[in-house]
Amino acid sequence: MSDFFKVIALRNLTLKGLKKISEDLALGLSIQEMARIQSYFRNLGRDPTDVELQALGQAWSEHCGYKSSKIYLKRYIFGLNSEKIYSQGDAGVVLLDENYAVALKMESHNHPSAIEPYGGASTGVGGILRDILSMGAQPVAVTDVLYFGINKYRDYPSPAFIRSGVISGIRDYGNRVGIPTVSGGIYYSDMFSPNVLVNVGCVGIVKKDKIAKQSIDKEGIKLIIAGGKTGRDGIHGVNMASANLDSGSANISTVQLGNPIIKEPLIHAVLQANEAGLIYSLKDLGGGGLSSVVGEMLYSGGKGGVVYLDKVPLKERDMLPWEIWVSESQERMLLGVEEQNVQKVLDIMNDWDITSAVIGESVKGSKLTLYYKGEIVMDLDLDFMTSPPLYQRAYRLKYNEYKFDMPKERESYNDIILKMLSDLNVASKEYAVRQYDHTVRGNTVIPPFTGIIGKEGPTDASVIRINWEDYSAISVSHGSNPFYSKIDPYMGARNAVDEAYRNLVSVNSIPLAFSDCLNSGNPERPERMGEFISMIKGLSDEAKDLGVPFVSGNVSLYNETGVKSIPSIPTILAVGKLKDYRKAITPDFKGTGNPIYLIGRPGIEFGGSLYFRIQRKNGGRVPFSDPKVLYQRSEMVLRAMDAGIILSSHDVSEGGLALAIAEMTIGSDIGAEIDLTGITVGRPDFFMFSESQSMFILEVQKGKEKEFEEYMKGLSIKLGYTGSQMLDVKFNGKTLVYLHIDQIRSKWKEGYI
Amino acid sequence: MNSPKVAVLTMEGTNNEEEAFQSWKGAGADAEIIHIKKLESGLRKLEEFDAIFFPGGFSAGDYVRAGAIMASRLRASVMEDIENFVDSGKLIMGSCNGFQVLIELGLIPNIGKNYEREAALATNLSNRFEARTVYLKITNNLCPFLKKFKINQIIRLPIAHFEGRFIPKDEDLLKEILKNNMIGLKYVDPYGKEVDYPWNPNGSIMNIAGLCSKSGNILGLMPHPERVFTKYTHSDWTRGNEEDYGQLFFKGAVEYLNEKF
Repeated sequence: MSDFFKVIALRNLTLKGLKKISEDLALGLSIQEMARIQSYFRNLGRDPTDVELQALGQAWSEHCGYKSSKIYLKRYIFGLNSEKIYSQGDAGVVLLDENYAVALKMESHNHPSAIEPYGGASTGVGGILRDILSMGAQPVAVTDVLYFGINKYRDYPSPAFIRSGVISGIRDYGNRVGIPTVSGGIYYSDMFSPNVLVNVGCVGIVKKDKIAKQSIDKEGIKLIIAGGKTGRDGIHGVNMASANLDSGSANISTVQLGNPIIKEPLIHAVLQANEAGLIYSLKDLGGGGLSSVVGEMLYSGGKGGVVYLDKVPLKERDMLPWEIWVSESQERMLLGVEEQNVQKVLDIMNDWDITSAVIGESVKGSKLTLYYKGEIVMDLDLDFMTSPPLYQRAYRLKYNEYKFDMPKERESYNDIILKMLSDLNVASKEYAVRQYDHTVRGNTVIPPFTGIIGKEGPTDASVIRINWEDYSAISVSHGSNPFYSKIDPYMGARNAVDEAYRNLVSVNSIPLAFSDCLNSGNPERPERMGEFISMIKGLSDEAKDLGVPFVSGNVSLYNETGVKSIPSIPTILAVGKLKDYRKAITPDFKGTGNPIYLIGRPGIEFGGSLYFRIQRKNGGRVPFSDPKVLYQRSEMVLRAMDAGIILSSHDVSEGGLALAIAEMTIGSDIGAEIDLTGITVGRPDFFMFSESQSMFILEVQKGKEKEFEEYMKGLSIKLGYTGSQMLDVKFNGKTLVYLHIDQIRSKWKEGYI
Repeated sequence: MNSPKVAVLTMEGTNNEEEAFQSWKGAGADAEIIHIKKLESGLRKLEEFDAIFFPGGFSAGDYVRAGAIMASRLRASVMEDIENFVDSGKLIMGSCNGFQVLIELGLIPNIGKNYEREAALATNLSNRFEARTVYLKITNNLCPFLKKFKINQIIRLPIAHFEGRFIPKDEDLLKEILKNNMIGLKYVDPYGKEVDYPWNPNGSIMNIAGLCSKSGNILGLMPHPERVFTKYTHSDWTRGNEEDYGQLFFKGAVEYLNEKF
């Protein structure tokens, strides 16, 4: 018996004893799960080692095992429009054209960011880059959607501290690794104090015939670990991410440390080896470490494996076998390589100054055996290890009473618009986004802000070209609205999909794929679980009729502290394609005297709307999205865009069409003269600020009105014309809004420059 | 006629090499990305090339001082080759972190002619990373990289840096820089006036954005011409601006090399 591993006498323990083992070893497993493990080892006729128990603790964590969510993901999301998915693994892949494919994924790094914001956010970027790299794809864009609190909650870190750490973490990692951070969003609400949400996404490009696979279906494939060395950082990270947040920083050692300067050459080296056809299978080491990745790579190909833990390059020499096996140290990739290619792969790694080592190989059978200094320290059936119990947890659906507090009608809405523009959720995010390099790689065709230099306004989606040879490009956008989701998780989810989709359409691109990052509270509470299921169902119902698949995603539960939980919020990352990026369209007005059209018709569902929020009023139901309507409008808009008669385009979201038009003036220095007389008979403020879904504002080339209206088949409403230096809105002879562009811009940019 | 050969140098943390490679290629050069390990080991020689490009990024993480580690590795291994390269009149360009490396290597301004570090690119006065488009005025077009521009022409280029504020070690050095007409590009407002932040994004002295060597064959600048080879990667091209500013740097250099070598 050696001193580097322990046998845990478990077979004769009572349930209480099992619970103590789970706690003592920080396994995070429930009594029932421990009992299942006990019966497995009783059948084997031996007791487990600490390495085996730790491996099971990792594999069966909520984070790795999707115990609470899998049944519902299978029912509603998996298989949806799946004929359009080309490949799935650590990220999802759809085809762009006959040669290229695009890989995308969005993932949460919520728990680590709440504990150690800088490290949590930066390793979030690092992890998502590796997911894309695992598909053999060159990462081309990093995105992030952040949800911060406003006021400090009890003795948890202040939201300002968290915000500054998260933004710096994303900046320092993304900038150093040289992939542009091009898209995202920042939300502010006390829903997120102290449970900050950090959702990071990445998009990559891969040649169709170079997509890496993630499974090993052959014996004798060597396992190579490459990149960062393995250390004690990040041990039990997935267990921490599968529990409610406690106050204090006791869990800080569970947060990994990132090193972009290892990642940057690792990307080059792995892509070079993949391009040369030397990689048999490829996976990134993220949550769960080697344990989870080796297991999944072998199990999915129906093979067993042998790993020699003493071959793993270490940061600290005295690490125990279980620590090596479950460490979540960053910047590591696992490569399956055929024997004749091993030396070539090691040479490429060496050329880039990257540490790499052969640590094991695939074998016949279904067992995973670990050796350390000649002794067997783990010998588990992969079937057992990779199949955590799945739960159909109790849930309760909440039926909301929708309250509607009528706001008073005003003579002028100037103050309302200025207040909206400076609302934290609307105001320019340049203070953060301009710290991210969004032009590195020289392929950014539409950046996060466009317009006259120094006066730029926001864009709906970013556009990244694929190569330097032709004019094809991808578009990247997001959708999410925590204020809708809080009131109605089902419709909030639908609207998030609507927003992501219409953002892509707005730049003249065809939506191709979604990735869904699902954030929720404790699934063991029936009400949370009910929200969670409603959210998934909403995503499914919306995407189905749009014909767009969810190609990848992630679930983050237990975003809860004491009695405080976040609502169930999806963040949608959406990718589209442009055949010719020279036809891309931005929101800033392009000329004077051009007609401005609204596509869609504002309704009076104001739940979660900015107009009601800033007046602290309840707005009733949240806006409703109908995917068939969205699809039809988008088709018409895209046809008109392709005809070259649309000069600028902006989707209508927070603040309604009035705010959309205000934003279109910012980057252009061109105002708008709008007259709503005869267009609406109801309250003009409701018309201006409605956030009904699937709406667009378009600037059409003058003289092309007739042609445009034919494209729109009568579904467009002409609101007025571009011109002057004012945003001027009239109704029945009264002036409702009269603001100079400089006022609009300076309110929106308040706090930046 | 053979295309001029260009080495785009790389090491861990440099990250503009791909667009620099493409820009040189697009301008008609025969470009190659070379890891500095290959120079250190003698596997590749600088004399094989007609131009060297130092790309932007965060070489070695920039954890010490921007560009310092890349420069000290090169100084320790191939400094003599670099000096010979400079003397031969071949071309060297560095953008962003590459400019920082040129300063650390003492290639610019090199008033004392002994390749010592005479200046610094210090932390931006705004104390934050700045990623945006700036206006620049061309103040010297004798340097081959700038020959396709007119004096006082105003152009736009992207910047993305945290350390870009040029500071010479003393007043005399600045006088020498001026006397020798070494300032290539200056940050200006849309009307060409030299003004402060935000138009001068980092607080650089005299709004210096780029410097040429005395003999003109070296250019170091903070902005990124390699990211805007065509107008479509400018941040405002959808407003109808037609200029392809980035490629003129590389085309000027290739033209010069074709004539000379």
